[in-house]
Amino acid sequence: MAEVSFPLPDLGEGLLEATVLEWLVKVGDQVERNQPFVEVETTKSSVELPSPISGTVLTLHGEPGDVVLVDTPLITFTVADDSAGIVGTVPAEVAPKRRVRLSAVLDED
Amino acid sequence: MAPRALAATLDTLSTSPADDAARGPARLLDVYRMLANVRQLDTSAVAWQRQGLIPGYAPMLGQEAAQVGAGFAVDKTRDFVFPSYREMGVAYTLGVNMVDYMSTHKAIWHGGLYDPVASHFAPFQAVVGGSVLHAVGWAHGQTLNGASLGGLGVGLAFLGDGASSQGDVHEAMNFAAILKAPVVFFVQNNGWAISVPTEQQVAGGSVAARAAGYGMPALRIDGNDVLAVLEATQRAVAHARAGLGPVVVEAMTYRRGPHSTSDDPGRYRTLDDEKIDGGEDPLRRFRSVLVEQGVADASFFDKSDADAQTRADEIRDGVVALESRPGSEMFDFVFQESTPTLGAQARQWREESEHV
Amino acid sequence: MSESTKSATLEIVRETPLLQLSMQQAINRALGEILDTDDRALIFGEDVGLLGGVFRVTDGLQQRFGANRVFDTPLAESGILGTAIGLAMAGFHPIPEVQFDGFAYPAVNQIITQLARMNYRSRGTLPMQVTLRVPSFGGIRAPEHHGESLESLFAHVPGLKVVSPANPQQAYHLLKHAASMPDPVIFMEPKARYWNKAGVDLAADEDIASLEGSVIARPGKHATLIAWGAMVSRCLQVAELAAEDGIELEVLDLRWLKPIDEAGLAASISRTRRAVVVHEGPHTIGLGAEVAALVSQSCFDTLRAPVERVTGFDVPYPSGDLEDEYIPNIDRILFGVQRVLEYRRG
Repeated sequence: MAEVSFPLPDLGEGLLEATVLEWLVKVGDQVERNQPFVEVETTKSSVELPSPISGTVLTLHGEPGDVVLVDTPLITFTVADDSAGIVGTVPAEVAPKRRVRLSAVLDED
Repeated sequence: MAPRALAATLDTLSTSPADDAARGPARLLDVYRMLANVRQLDTSAVAWQRQGLIPGYAPMLGQEAAQVGAGFAVDKTRDFVFPSYREMGVAYTLGVNMVDYMSTHKAIWHGGLYDPVASHFAPFQAVVGGSVLHAVGWAHGQTLNGASLGGLGVGLAFLGDGASSQGDVHEAMNFAAILKAPVVFFVQNNGWAISVPTEQQVAGGSVAARAAGYGMPALRIDGNDVLAVLEATQRAVAHARAGLGPVVVEAMTYRRGPHSTSDDPGRYRTLDDEKIDGGEDPLRRFRSVLVEQGVADASFFDKSDADAQTRADEIRDGVVALESRPGSEMFDFVFQESTPTLGAQARQWREESEHV
Repeated sequence: MSESTKSATLEIVRETPLLQLSMQQAINRALGEILDTDDRALIFGEDVGLLGGVFRVTDGLQQRFGANRVFDTPLAESGILGTAIGLAMAGFHPIPEVQFDGFAYPAVNQIITQLARMNYRSRGTLPMQVTLRVPSFGGIRAPEHHGESLESLFAHVPGLKVVSPANPQQAYHLLKHAASMPDPVIFMEPKARYWNKAGVDLAADEDIASLEGSVIARPGKHATLIAWGAMVSRCLQVAELAAEDGIELEVLDLRWLKPIDEAGLAASISRTRRAVVVHEGPHTIGLGAEVAALVSQSCFDTLRAPVERVTGFDVPYPSGDLEDEYIPNIDRILFGVQRVLEYRRG
């Protein structure tokens, strides 16, 4: 297993910090990629942050009401080793999306 | 161009196993006989090309001492030689069937018709430096197999000053030193890579000097002194066989002839250059040694040279008699297990082409 | 085999619970079994030892089999291949890895001039039982030369066989099969599919014949999508979507890119009469061109439309941000399908 920390990203342009409003997961939870895990408030808005990876929650860095600085750890996951250590990104399984519809008058012979 | 330094200038190999048998009179006479065989076959092959018997040949005139000396240090039962395309003298010394060897120059089959596994002599191949890594892999295989009584089988990679420019040669030396593989890198520095002299080919002027960078010992020797070559190669082989790792032997020699029978050295060097840079003929030098030591006399040389001529004539007869391989062999040897696609092409070829 | 025996065998197989493995785990398992059963097999390459490879495909193998059989090499792909050739000449069965597809380029000289020709040059006396594992194709937003599609290059070289598994089950069985073959095989692992888990039946496919040629990944009747590697799962998604529109697409997983299963292609397309070949590699002289030529030759009379090719473009493989623009996506494949569906002669 490997530990992967996710730092608070800059949620606006040049924001320095955000306040934790509510954790949507708890230590030990299995979190899937893109699953919202926290609601934070900035000077501009309050937003839910989606998890960048799938993993088990190891540490929540801060209690509701705490201020977290941009680029400092927000949450730490443990992830299976087989998704760690590569060059590149493990591709996400996403539901297939389409724009194109098929239309055809098929000859029946 | 300055005369080439032929003296031994680099010897970093620590041990020097004595091999007095190498200098026994009978062995010395064998060495001369083989030098004569190789000289005769080499000059014959050039003639065959002029007679239209073979389309081309890569002469090794002047390199006989380097090749025969090295060949005599090879244990044919457990070592393996990885040649390039100008190692006729090594092949002959190892006992490779020379008609089958010459078949490559008659354009019968690229790798020659000899059995590389039985001969312990890898197929003739034309990529300079291409087989050097194979020697390393093969040699590492001997390490993995484990030493039998008397030590490891040794892989001998034959390359030239031109090949030493190839990246593969660096990779091979680095891999060999890292793996401590029982390899001898036998470099024939013959002064010329086709038309480009060593001075414009080998930065620093010595391939052997590079060995220090890989942490392996090296010997730089007079490649036209057959006994010096034999002794140096034996020492290098013994070092590798003992599991002490790879060695570079750089035999300073001279390509007295053209690069190939279609080359014209007059465009890049003069006859005077050749005379000065080539030094004394390696066969003549060895004859002097044998006479000085009282081991041989004129009648021995005459008989050896005549026997060499007879053998070359026999090989010529064999080469004349060599017939084209059946065209189906184009398809037969691509894979061990052929494919439906290839099978279909072979069937179509059979139906639509005239066959040899 | 009689029908009754056959179904009895299938019953037994069904009782074996399927292992849920990612392709990476399936390959790791296959490598372990190969080392276990073939004492001439060796694994080597960059970082394959203690690290277990950058994709962890060789994880634990050095610990299990020792550093003689699983070893790290210097960082030099030509050296890796040349050493593999020499080891094969010494009777070993090397399974070298080049870390990423783009790193095979420095080894191309040894692959083409030596590996592919040694059996031929030596008149069959020096077989090259070498399986070169190449993490292949795109989809992981990696740096340059970490997402190339080399199948056309390798498939063009006489003396090489080329295979690409589409799922963990195939990866496990095809790798064991490839490693047992006495010829050089380029084993192209679709790295975008390394982490997707699926059921693996370890006992299935022990019949060698079932490991050769192509397989129908999904039957259909209106057109055949021909794909390999990571594009197979994408084509299966497309087939699922097409079904919503009343179009039943067959998905043919080519698996072997050399030799190509000409009979399998002909059988599928003579049924569906329309073909779309999908691959990540560049368009021009991509393997799709060969597939199209084979299909036009075998199915000219039954084809209802020219064979469509939905491929990467004739551009250097783009940076991660543009990857999704380059690799055939669902819409581009659907457009290709639409073109073969609406094509009318004259």
